[in-house]
Amino acid sequence: MNSESALPYRDTKPQGAPDFYYAINATFRFIISRLGREAWVRYLEEMGRGYFGVVNECWRTGGLQAVAHYWRDFFAAEPGAVVEVTESADCVELVVHECSAIKHLRTGGREIVKEYCQHCYFLGRARAEASGLTMRLSGGDGCCRHIYAKPEADLPPQDLAQIKEATS
Amino acid sequence: MIGCYDFCGHYEWTFGWLERVGGHELVRAYWNEAINHDSQRHARDLIINGGFEGMAKYWGHTLLEESPDLGFAITRTDEVFRIDMHDCPSKGFLLRNGLENYHDYCDHCMGWIGPLMKDSGYVIDHEHNHRGQCWWDIRPASSAGESSKPGAIAGSKDVRLRPDWNESPAQLDRYEKATDSDDKL
Repeated sequence: MNSESALPYRDTKPQGAPDFYYAINATFRFIISRLGREAWVRYLEEMGRGYFGVVNECWRTGGLQAVAHYWRDFFAAEPGAVVEVTESADCVELVVHECSAIKHLRTGGREIVKEYCQHCYFLGRARAEASGLTMRLSGGDGCCRHIYAKPEADLPPQDLAQIKEATS
Repeated sequence: MIGCYDFCGHYEWTFGWLERVGGHELVRAYWNEAINHDSQRHARDLIINGGFEGMAKYWGHTLLEESPDLGFAITRTDEVFRIDMHDCPSKGFLLRNGLENYHDYCDHCMGWIGPLMKDSGYVIDHEHNHRGQCWWDIRPASSAGESSKPGAIAGSKDVRLRPDWNESPAQLDRYEKATDSDDKL
């Protein structure tokens, strides 16, 4: 297994500061209230193709092994995340037992944007498409399941109703 | 998922996105509404209710969490709450990773702290050099105090005494008795 970090942007600390989840939640609230939900989806899609472009390229060239490596390193740097990452022949599955963001927002008594969990789908879909993959999400509100798959896995279409609203 | 580990990277990217979508005023509104009034409402509660004591609690916690290597110094007198930032964990992250999607990331601090201090009855003298170093003198708005001379408040911890502080004078941004990110001199 490759021991070098798959994270493209590195900090001097092993994990992030969880209070930043407050700002992410507040950013979603601001964009949705000022610009509307469609603009918020565009924001996530453009971030997925732009800011995360360097990761997408690694996924495109490195395949599912690179996807699994990235998510293992990603969640290791998120304080409080409890996540299993499993790689198979045609997909990578992330089972989030405890979402570090939802947990910290609740602990901090923050009003969580109800669309919060959808951000993982719209962002993940854009990143997957840029990498030649497909992405699906189910669950939410603290526990969820993400799948990044090769096109030949022929996953059924995403049903947005399968993504729960976040509750505070 | 958008994570907190590389927060400063996508936060800075967001400034650029907002400016492209809604111009400078939307970025200013974001810093004030989303950061000052929403994300950092714990800072507002502490500072509006506790003054310098609240500032010490807020920045003592936040800077320690973001900068465990103590790349900063806090100094308090009866008249001034001062921060000397020698190694900004936020700007440092961007510099180390070569990230720039917005023309002046450092403006975001005055963008949310300025309105907070205005609401709390304080004004700010501040400079940043865009290389991860800055200083802040926060005084009651009623204070007649002038900007401090280098070393006068923080002694040897004053960031302006660093040999590399003013390597590019044209890159120094300065504020006097300000509470608005657009009050740059």
